[in-house]
Amino acid sequence: MIIDRHDQYSGSGTLARVYALGLVARWMHLASSIYLVGASTMIVIAGRSDRPTARRWEHRILSSARGLAVAALASGLVVLGVQTALFEGRAGAALELGAIARVLTETQTGHVWLVRFGCLVLLSTFLLLRLSVDRRVDWRAARGEGVLLGAAALVPIAAAGHAAAVEPDTARAIALDGLHVIVAGVWVGGLVPLALLLRAAAATEGADARPYAVLAARCFSRVALGAMVVLAVTGALLATIHVGSVAGLVGTSYGRLLLAKLALLVLVLLLATLNRSVLLARLAGDGPTVGRPAMRRLSGFVGAEGLLALAILGIVAALGVTPPARHEAAVWPFGIRLSIAALEGTTGEATRALIGSQIAVLGLAVMIAGGMLRTRRLPLVAPALIALGAGVGLALPPLAIDAYPTTYLRPSVPYQATSIASGAALYHESCVACHGARGAGDGSAGLALPRPPADLRAPHTAQHTAGDLFWWLTNGIPAAGMPGFGARLTEEQRWDVINFLRALSAGYAARGMGSTVEPDRRWLVAPDFTFAVGPTPPRALKEYRGRVVLVVLYHLPPSRPRMSQLAGREGTLAALGIEVIAVPTDAAPDAIRRLGAEPRVLFPVVTEGAEAIVTAYRLFAASPHAEFLIDRQGYIRAIAQSGGEAAELEPLLAQIQELNQEKAPAEAPAEHVH
Amino acid sequence: MRAWKAVVLINLALVIGVVWGYAVWGLRATRLERELAVARAAALAGVEREWIVEGVVRAIFPELNVLVITHGDIAGYMPAMTMGFRTASPKIQEAVSVGDAVRFTLRGVPPTIAVTAIHKMATR
Repeated sequence: MIIDRHDQYSGSGTLARVYALGLVARWMHLASSIYLVGASTMIVIAGRSDRPTARRWEHRILSSARGLAVAALASGLVVLGVQTALFEGRAGAALELGAIARVLTETQTGHVWLVRFGCLVLLSTFLLLRLSVDRRVDWRAARGEGVLLGAAALVPIAAAGHAAAVEPDTARAIALDGLHVIVAGVWVGGLVPLALLLRAAAATEGADARPYAVLAARCFSRVALGAMVVLAVTGALLATIHVGSVAGLVGTSYGRLLLAKLALLVLVLLLATLNRSVLLARLAGDGPTVGRPAMRRLSGFVGAEGLLALAILGIVAALGVTPPARHEAAVWPFGIRLSIAALEGTTGEATRALIGSQIAVLGLAVMIAGGMLRTRRLPLVAPALIALGAGVGLALPPLAIDAYPTTYLRPSVPYQATSIASGAALYHESCVACHGARGAGDGSAGLALPRPPADLRAPHTAQHTAGDLFWWLTNGIPAAGMPGFGARLTEEQRWDVINFLRALSAGYAARGMGSTVEPDRRWLVAPDFTFAVGPTPPRALKEYRGRVVLVVLYHLPPSRPRMSQLAGREGTLAALGIEVIAVPTDAAPDAIRRLGAEPRVLFPVVTEGAEAIVTAYRLFAASPHAEFLIDRQGYIRAIAQSGGEAAELEPLLAQIQELNQEKAPAEAPAEHVH
Repeated sequence: MRAWKAVVLINLALVIGVVWGYAVWGLRATRLERELAVARAAALAGVEREWIVEGVVRAIFPELNVLVITHGDIAGYMPAMTMGFRTASPKIQEAVSVGDAVRFTLRGVPPTIAVTAIHKMATR
């Protein structure tokens, strides 16, 4: 396997056991904290009652809450200990006061823990006070305080989870997570108390509390419905933040845990739908017998919902200690993937996909319409379902593209001049024989192969991810006679070759780019590079984001007139806010001396790193002297190729003005090819 | 005790906790800010300072006693950039030519500083 999955906790046996203990403790802690919120809310939702059964239920819930508050405190201590052990990397640290104090005072997790633990202590104290709540005002104050303290103890958990590590928009992620957690608390935590209430009321001696229980169930049902909507929205947003892609969902442990959570959630939702639409409706009437069997069944089903929710919380505890999918290399588990890029250049297939998708949409629309009818749904829904299936069956096959485990692997080497230059060298060693010097697939050795080598300059690369190229480079394409280089090239070298191939094909596409900026057409990413001027510390092109940059590849002596001209107008260029970076094509370390003292050249002249820059940027322009105008986001927008002779400077200044006036800056290109 | 009184007390404890946490955090922030201000003031006070910096000579203005140098970071004073420095004596700019990698000494009371010594570095 290419992708080496390493688990940060699998290092030592003891630490692995501590980790497992931590997982169980997290589960317990989460479940009890959630229950505390849900139980308090459920009591408030049900309201105050004088019926003996209702009073007994309330007492029972409160005593369970007392127990769980203590459980939350105890498991919280274990979680803290385990966290300390994992931070310190040794199991013994879990019991060292000094280490624990460091975690508490110096880490955000520690601060959040302190806040939450403080609230939990307050809540436990409050619950243990056993206050008299005979008067209405006392009851309201006491039960409201339960909700408040429960929520205060639960919500800050969001600031110690994955959401706190999201960049940028950390606050937004934490707010979403906090909302998700508190709403989950109200819903999930309320299930068991509700089930207990229904069971008590369904018993023979619970007749007095039956109307109370029915009202409470109806009220909770409404609250739960709203909670589910909020959970779905916040959950979907959090999933886009932490997972972000289908590959992340099916190809990482975080994604698969999330899928397991969703599968359990579907079961819970099915039960909830059944409860709400069938059983709740049967609770009508307030007589001693009416609706009793339904009430008993509802109690069982709500309890089952609660148990499933407990299992979901177990998964949530595991998610909390699993790196989010976005930060993991996704291993694509299927042999194909679906992409709209598959239709590029085909007409028959595209038509088929278009017709199929329309049939599917029609089927879906009819199905929704049929679902809204009260009677005679089947004659409408059945054909609609068939149409949906047929449409999908028609539309999807043309969209299928071969995929490999590495298809969604993110390059570990950024798209940089040095990488492109190393890739170019490797290409000339290993690939040129078949793929040809210019990548056209016209190498002499390629003639003997079963299938002609691919033209690497072709624009069809949109269909292939960098991960696809990585797979082919690693394992070869046996049917075409392409050998695999997994054993000969290191992983980094393979990414270098891929970066070179991207630059090669981008350069081929850029051969039509002239010296005039095309408004709002950004597509040619300027490969990043680092350079140094003399003994000063190296700088990167990326640091110039937000300013227009003119990269000048010059060649002495032919470029001398043009360089003098640029140096002479340095003041004008500076006034326009443009940064000039001059790169000698002969990569001379004494480039500044060779430019001479007159006219004075003051913009950066690269004395270190020029070689890689020249190799990479020559793929975009092969002339002896070339000027690349790079916009504020890092895209090459115009390329002026010449022999280095002096030319009118006004057109260049006009292009710079054009770029300066461009508004609505597009997103900066990704650092890696994709 | 009446329940509502207990609730008020608990809420009071909650508020005290929040205020205390905020105060501790706020005090730490103010202290850091004050220390930073003191450090800044010390850096800018009329104390003579000296730096040894590396760079490349980009231009020489003999008539102005000025050297334009692309230099690295000047700790606590100036980030890496290309700029002109006055020289303490004409001998200094006579010792170097454009394109030389140099190590030079800057001395003075900011912002009045000058190059007091300069040495060519061996080209790598």
